[in-house]
Amino acid sequence: MNHAVDVKGLRKVFGRSTAVHHVDFQVKQGEIFGLLGPSGSGKTTIVKMLTGELSPTEGDVTVLGRSSERLGTSDFKTKIGILSDNSALYERLTVFDNLKLFCKLYDTPVHQIDVILRDMDLHEEGDKTVAKLSKGMKQRVLLAKALIHKPELVFLDEPTSALDPASMARIHRGLQKLNEAGTTIVLTTHNMEEATELCDRVAFLHQGEFQEIDSPAALRYAYSTHTFHVETFSGEQLVIENEPENAERMKQLIEDGRIKTMQTDHPTLGQIFLKVTGKELV
Amino acid sequence: MRIQRISAIFEKDLKDFMKNMMVALLPVTPVLMTLFFNQSGNGGLPVIMHYLIVGITFSVVTSGSIMTILAEENEKHTLRGLIQSPATLWDIIIGKSLVTGLVTVLSLAVSLFIVGIEPFLNFKIIMGIILLFLFFLLLGIGVGLFAKSVASTSAYLMIVMILFGFTPMITLLGIGEGSVIMNIIDMFPLMQVIEMHSAGTWAPLGVLTLWTAASGMFTFVCFQKVMTDD
Ligand SMILES: Nc1ncnc2c1ncn2[C@@H]1O[C@H](COP(=O)(O)OP(=O)(O)OP(=O)(O)O)[C@@H](O)[C@H]1O
Ligand SMILES: [Mg+2]
Repeated sequence: MNHAVDVKGLRKVFGRSTAVHHVDFQVKQGEIFGLLGPSGSGKTTIVKMLTGELSPTEGDVTVLGRSSERLGTSDFKTKIGILSDNSALYERLTVFDNLKLFCKLYDTPVHQIDVILRDMDLHEEGDKTVAKLSKGMKQRVLLAKALIHKPELVFLDEPTSALDPASMARIHRGLQKLNEAGTTIVLTTHNMEEATELCDRVAFLHQGEFQEIDSPAALRYAYSTHTFHVETFSGEQLVIENEPENAERMKQLIEDGRIKTMQTDHPTLGQIFLKVTGKELV
Repeated sequence: MRIQRISAIFEKDLKDFMKNMMVALLPVTPVLMTLFFNQSGNGGLPVIMHYLIVGITFSVVTSGSIMTILAEENEKHTLRGLIQSPATLWDIIIGKSLVTGLVTVLSLAVSLFIVGIEPFLNFKIIMGIILLFLFFLLLGIGVGLFAKSVASTSAYLMIVMILFGFTPMITLLGIGEGSVIMNIIDMFPLMQVIEMHSAGTWAPLGVLTLWTAASGMFTFVCFQKVMTDD
């Protein structure tokens, strides 16, 4: 199977500082792939090299079967959608006029605007001036702009940063629907819950290097300590290893009806990140 | 295809232009100055004043509006959206220039309606004026991309206006004829068009072409810088 994105030995140097050190990864077609990392770890720099906005200092980038020298063509640009970290709209124009411009630039029929506004829960907002929209609405319009031409592959650089939970949930639903329809998504975030909920696979980025790359569930399993945390009705906190020799003890606790709560120890992605890099996200 | 992208950018810019007070007032300024000159000249302005009006219009309206429009797109990061789209560099430049061109033509037409169009009814002069327009347009695009913020364009616009728009006024400052400064100023684009008018030779058209080419180079370099983030 062809990969949507294939990166080998990618490096980016700005002047004297190296923003991305030797990174390798693939994004499968139809996957939601998350780049996770704290501020300054190189997420935006990697995305820009995948969209053709920055040229790599070293390494091979293949996106939708095209090598990095061929990412500037109009043909490639119609196949991808981009929501940048600083994407913006024309504030004096209406939502509709903003989207109309991009419909024409991407050679998409104008009636597509109604469809996408409905998808993004924005059909009431079409005639409003962008300057009058809330932050969450603007972000959804930006997303609509990135998706209006039905790209095969979308790059979303922090699509939900600084949004309230309700707006975030709306965007997540939209992205899941989009992905179910077959669109490959590459997103960056510092929000671990978002990554756990949305991504099929995540890469942990720290100071321009990948530390881990796997599905959230696999990572959580790999970093779990394989123990049960049991709280009894008498207030005892027990830590019992998930080993055959403890089976009798567990059975006894259950039979005696002493267990109030019981949890397996699954760390969150945030805890794993801290463990791997020694650094908090955000 | 390409026409569709250019017209999309044109349509968007036209709407944006009319809703932007700061830019929408630019084409009115030269017309007001023309009215003022015409009033004080009580009938029949010297030919040099006709050219001064052209210089003012091209510097204020042409350079001024495209400079402000582009600096705003650059500052607010909307230009990045255009660059990420399938529109080419040329689609963007041409689409954006059309609105500025239209507004310049309207403003100049009103001014020339007030003072009379006779001095310009000559093929050579019209060629010269078209080149002069391109010079101001390209210079405005370059500065707009280079300036990076709307606030800083006003300073650059002042320089463009004083040097290239109001050039004939400098000659009236009483600097000695034949001095080095005067010789340099005589080479300036607007002075070359005036030279064409009085001497009737083709040579100034060549100098003007060089100015326009230099301005085009400047724009090209500025655009290359914006196209990539390196
Ligand atoms: N154009 C540039 N010129 C010089 N240095 C740059 C440039 N762009 C990014 N950098 C540097 O590269 C490093 C990685 O930056 P990048 O923007 O990729 O981080 P990020 O992970 O996206 O951070 P954030 O979460 O804050 O968006 C930073 O140290 C930054 O200062
Ligand atoms: Mg970033």
